[in-house]
Amino acid sequence: MLPAACAHRVVSILSQALEDCAEKKKKLEDNLALCRALLGDWKVQTPESPKPECDPAGDQVSEPSAKELEELELLNRALEKALRVRKSTLQSPLGALGAAGGEKAAEKKPATSIARTQRAPCSKESIPKTIKVTSVSKKAAFSKKFPTYMLKAPYRTDPVKAPTHQSSRAPKMTGEASTKQVRKTAPATSLCQEVFCAVAEPSGSPRSLPCEQQSSSSFGGSASGKNPVAADPENDCPGSSTESPMTQSQKAGDFLVGSTTARTFTLQEKGSLLKLPLPYRKAYTRNSRLWEKCRLCQSSSATAAVRNHFLERMQASFCSSAPALSPAEIEEEVMVLHDTHSFLSQCMESETTGHPTWEREYESLLTLEGLRDMASQCLLKLQQLHAAAESQVRLRPSDCTHSTRTSLEDCTSFRGRRCGATPLLFYSSVQELREMTSLKLQVAMLHQQIHIQKVLVAELLPVVESRLPQDESPSHLYRAVYTQLCEGGERFPVLVNDELPD
Amino acid sequence: MRSGRAGTLPAAIGALCRALPLESRPAPETFRLAKFDRPQAVRVGGAVVHRMPHPSPLSGLAVCTQIRFVKSVLWYHGYGRPEFYQLPSDGSVGSRELLLAFSWLLNRINLLEQLLIANRVKIGDETSVCTVSRFFCLFSPLSQFEVDVRYLQWLNGRLRFQWRNLHVDHQEQCKLFHKIHSYTVGCHIDHTIGHFSVTEVDLVRQPHSYKQLLQLLESETSRLEAFLEWKQLEPVYWHWMVMNQPNIKDVKSEERELPDEREFCAAVRTITEAVELKLSDLKYHCAHKKNGMHGPYRLVFKDKRSEPAINVVHATEVISELRMQEAKLGRQLKRLQEECRHKLDQIAEGLAGVICIPPTKR
Repeated sequence: MLPAACAHRVVSILSQALEDCAEKKKKLEDNLALCRALLGDWKVQTPESPKPECDPAGDQVSEPSAKELEELELLNRALEKALRVRKSTLQSPLGALGAAGGEKAAEKKPATSIARTQRAPCSKESIPKTIKVTSVSKKAAFSKKFPTYMLKAPYRTDPVKAPTHQSSRAPKMTGEASTKQVRKTAPATSLCQEVFCAVAEPSGSPRSLPCEQQSSSSFGGSASGKNPVAADPENDCPGSSTESPMTQSQKAGDFLVGSTTARTFTLQEKGSLLKLPLPYRKAYTRNSRLWEKCRLCQSSSATAAVRNHFLERMQASFCSSAPALSPAEIEEEVMVLHDTHSFLSQCMESETTGHPTWEREYESLLTLEGLRDMASQCLLKLQQLHAAAESQVRLRPSDCTHSTRTSLEDCTSFRGRRCGATPLLFYSSVQELREMTSLKLQVAMLHQQIHIQKVLVAELLPVVESRLPQDESPSHLYRAVYTQLCEGGERFPVLVNDELPD
Repeated sequence: MRSGRAGTLPAAIGALCRALPLESRPAPETFRLAKFDRPQAVRVGGAVVHRMPHPSPLSGLAVCTQIRFVKSVLWYHGYGRPEFYQLPSDGSVGSRELLLAFSWLLNRINLLEQLLIANRVKIGDETSVCTVSRFFCLFSPLSQFEVDVRYLQWLNGRLRFQWRNLHVDHQEQCKLFHKIHSYTVGCHIDHTIGHFSVTEVDLVRQPHSYKQLLQLLESETSRLEAFLEWKQLEPVYWHWMVMNQPNIKDVKSEERELPDEREFCAAVRTITEAVELKLSDLKYHCAHKKNGMHGPYRLVFKDKRSEPAINVVHATEVISELRMQEAKLGRQLKRLQEECRHKLDQIAEGLAGVICIPPTKR
């Protein structure tokens, strides 16, 4: 058992260390939770339609107009016809159609010439209703629902035709085309082409078709999430992200969003398409510009002169018995000494390595002498600072008792803190970052361990020294203290009774 | 007061006030009133001074505590006007002294800059680089109980365990940071940075949660503007302050501080200069660069080594610095442990009938 006073100090310091750790851990945990949330799937916000996976947006047009419904019905019928034709021909023109469909969707993708030529007549014949449909409204939200719901139950085939080679769009768009059919470019009947062009055209347009989202519910929505909702980034307008959740937050500014619904957004896939909201961007640019200006801002010499004049006059009015060095200056000097000391030890170590030639040895000898002189000067300075600190305490006015240092581990010195934006720290790989972090922690831990060690030594050794000689069974206390002070609490010594059997 | 400047003094004071943090912003009028030692100005002057870069939760405290704190802060920085320290703690008089003190601090430690830096809005993923670690323990009042030494061992074990946990968590955070940074490369409007931080990504994801951040950012921007204005108008303020300074009697040297102290600080300064000169010499000789890395930094992922930018520190530099530190501290700890071992061995020899076998070195 340890006496109360000694124990108290030791326990306090360990408890304090534990509290610090717990605090840091807590802060870290909050941050980790946020990071994980950001890296996971960004959930779509609660939709209004009964089918959450189909409905991306809650702020879209609430009811499709009758006209739109009618047009869509027409298109549906056209599709039905086309599919009947398809079944009959079996030579699926779907390859071409798929290509056509895909073509419309992504301007960048290479289109087959057939598709192109087919498109031209298509568009002309393309019944006005198509165009009308597409021009329904121009919300920023881009919906890919259109093709999906168009393909109602009978048309919907296995949606899981894996998007193989070139255009994954193709099978997805039509919902039926197997990839293998893309090869076929058999001339399609005009009707099919027409229809599919009609299908393809609006679906390819990057304009929004909000109506169908609602229609999906009314039409008993087709592709319940399986079909083409697989968002292909290439299908979207360049620069837009296909993630629906963002549509809601239009106040977030010009963040273009697609609304593929069944898939949620992941940072991994679409991260590089993100854009900061406009108000923030503006604020940020203004802010960083001003910081830069502040950093470059210099006082004119006239200003400096009048400032110094003021300071001098103030200085003249100071109490004559006030100590020459303020506590802040003492601290500053101590830190300088600390740095000097590290620097000196480093130099010393480099000098004590082996010397091949006598010149080198002589040189290092001289350097060491110089270092020794510097060290003794530093010692002198340290003594003087010590005296200054004591006189500070002596002369301090009676009501200046508050300690102005509140934070425990932060570096609150003003050194090197120039006015400017937060400086940057570049790291080039995750290993680097990890190493740096691990080293930082290690150094902090070592600092703490050393401090604790010193306190423990000061408290525990006297106890052991005073108690042990009289103690009958010293092993307990001795082993505990030994392990604590010498082995960092990791290993134990062994005490053996030195009694030889007679 | 110079007539040509009469108009700009209010502008200068106004800019000064607007550059101060919102919570401690006095009305410009109080400056004028402070001159006349009005009580209400005292409180405000105190409020400003106590908003130091060391954030302290003083706003709820009584006036006398605030004033005591203000005095401590000024003492810490070396303010030496006896009249100031003699001010009563009830805040009834002394606004003029406070005005002087405030101006002195403003001048001496660049208070405005420090406040701006200390209250910087944190948007990036920040890490601090600091080669000095201070671990303080504030002792609570003494307790009466004896404690079993095994309790100490247990506490220590827990501490080590916590550190390991912390280490694991930090490593995880590094991985997550890296992922987020690399996934958002190319998005940031600032091309030097290039990618988003965690806060920025979350800002995109849930803009409505970050209204306050935006407000803080905007308020910081207006403070920066005010600061730049202030820098232009500063001389006017200082001229005015010089006018306001009490008439200083010509103090003769006998009345000043003890000659010992004068010599002492002159000596200290000479030594400092001499040492620094030598240091720079040696530095040049050893071709060693001393880094002045302190404070918080924003983490930026840059896998291609780009042209060196200003105000930028590379992780590799930090790593080598930290490695040296780690080695040094490790050696120090081992030395301490060795000393203890030595002492304990001596004690063990004094024990009758017992032999101590130290644990085998791994």
